[in-house]
Amino acid sequence: MLRLMAPSIASNVIVPQLRQFHASAVCCKLQSGRYKITPKRDRPLTYEMANPPYYIAHRKSWNSWDTTSLLDGQRAAETSVEDVFIHRFMTGTWHDLFCSEVIIKRQHNLIRIAGLIRQGLPARKMYFLIGYSEELLANWLQCPVKLELQTVENKETTIFKYI
Amino acid sequence: MRPCDLRGTSVLLSVSVLFVQRAKRVCDDFRALDLRPSKSNNMRGNRRKTAYKKTPVHPPRSNKMPVDQDWPSVWPVARVFHPASVPLPLHQGWVEPGITPPGKFANAELMKIPNFLHLTPPAIQRQCEALKKFCTEWPKELDTDEKIDHHFPLQITTSDYLHSSPTIRDARARIVTLQVKLSTLNLNSHAKDKLLRLVKERYDPVTDILTLVAERCPLRKQNIDYAMYLLNVLVSESWKTEPWENEKSEADMEKYVWEGSQSQRTLQQLLERMPNKAPDLPEVIKQYSVNVTRFHNEGEDTENVNAYKESVIKLLGLNA
Repeated sequence: MLRLMAPSIASNVIVPQLRQFHASAVCCKLQSGRYKITPKRDRPLTYEMANPPYYIAHRKSWNSWDTTSLLDGQRAAETSVEDVFIHRFMTGTWHDLFCSEVIIKRQHNLIRIAGLIRQGLPARKMYFLIGYSEELLANWLQCPVKLELQTVENKETTIFKYI
Repeated sequence: MRPCDLRGTSVLLSVSVLFVQRAKRVCDDFRALDLRPSKSNNMRGNRRKTAYKKTPVHPPRSNKMPVDQDWPSVWPVARVFHPASVPLPLHQGWVEPGITPPGKFANAELMKIPNFLHLTPPAIQRQCEALKKFCTEWPKELDTDEKIDHHFPLQITTSDYLHSSPTIRDARARIVTLQVKLSTLNLNSHAKDKLLRLVKERYDPVTDILTLVAERCPLRKQNIDYAMYLLNVLVSESWKTEPWENEKSEADMEKYVWEGSQSQRTLQQLLERMPNKAPDLPEVIKQYSVNVTRFHNEGEDTENVNAYKESVIKLLGLNA
C-alpha cells in the first residue's frame, strides 16, 4: 500500500482537515480473455480462447479487419461502434448458434461477416436468417453486407484443448 | 491415375485400379448408420432445439473434385475461406512442437486471414485477357523518356486513397502537384531570374524542376485548374519588365557579372593609360574577367586566389 504522509509541519495543526492521503496500490491484474484452470481439467477452450489477447498477431489474428488503424485511417470510432453492433446483432439473431467469434472483414465498402455456425437449424431457416441479416445490416450500415458462414456439426468440434 | 492410361499394359492391373476407384467412391457415399446417438453431444447449446429431424449433411465437395478441374470457376471472387471448397490439406494454428496443428474444418483462424485463392495465375491471366480489349496501344513514337519529356513537359501528380469504409471521400485526394522543367519554358535570363524570385523554394536547382502544390480548393479539378492558372501567371509575370527594374544597381545583383561592372570600367581606364600593351590583350582580359567572376561568385579559396594572381600578373606585364 502506498501511503502519502502530509508533512508534519505547523500548518498541519492549523488546518485539521489536511491530514493524510491514502492511496491503494495499482491493481495490475488482467483478466479479460484469460481462463482459469479447473481442478478436473475439463473446461473446454476453443483456439481463440486458448490464446490470451497478447498472442494476437503471433498465434491468432484479429476478429475485425479494416483500415482504420493504418496511418491516417478514417472512421475509427464509427467502425468500432458498428463492429460492436454487428457482433450483438449476429449473436442475437443466430441465437446460441455461433461457435466462434464473429469475424468482421471490411473490403472497401463491403462488410464480410464470417464465423462458425452450429448445425442446429434446418437449412431452410438458415437461408432465411442469412438473407434477413444481410438485408437488415445493409440497410442500417448503408453498405453491402455478406455473410460467409461455415457450419460445424456441434460445438465440440471447435474445442482445442481442456484446462 | 486413370484406368485408361494402363489399358495397354496389363488388363489385370487396370481391373484392379477400377475396383479401387469404385471402392473409394462407395466409401465417399457411404455414411454410417447411427443407431444409438452418442451421448457426447450433450453440451449446453446442443441440448435444446433438437425437435426437428436433422437432414443429413453431405460430405465436403472437395472430396469429389477432379484434379484437373477449372479452379477459377470454383473460386471466382474474393471470399472467406471455406474448407469444403478447397481441396488442400491445410492446417493453421500454434501448437506445442510435435503435435499436428488444427485442420481446415471448424478452424476460425483460416477464416480470419485474407486469402488469395481467387488470384491464381490462370485467373489473373483470364482477367487480363478480358481487359485487353479496353486497352489502347502505346504510341510507337514515344519510345524513350527524353521524347516523352519533350512532348509532355507538364507532370501532374494526384493520389487516390482507398479505405475500408462506406465512403469513398478522402480530403487528401484533392492535393495536386504540378511539376515542370524550367528549361522547357524557354525563359530569358531576366525572366528566369524573376520567376525564381517569385517561386522561391519551389524550384530545385539540382534537377531544374519547378514544383507547385495546390491544395486550397476542395476538389481536385479546381486544384488542377488553380495550379495551371498559377503557372500561367508566373510565366507571364516574369516576362514583364517593370519600370523600377532598371534601377537595379551593382549592389543589388545576386551574382557578380563582369559586363558593366566597376572592375571593367577601371580596367578600361587603366589600359588607356598603359604605354606598352601586351600583344595577346583580348585573351588576357577575357581570362582576367573569368577569374574575377569566379573569385566573387565561388568565394576565396587557394585555387581562385592563385588564378586571380596569375591573371593580374599577365595583365600588367609583370615578371615575377
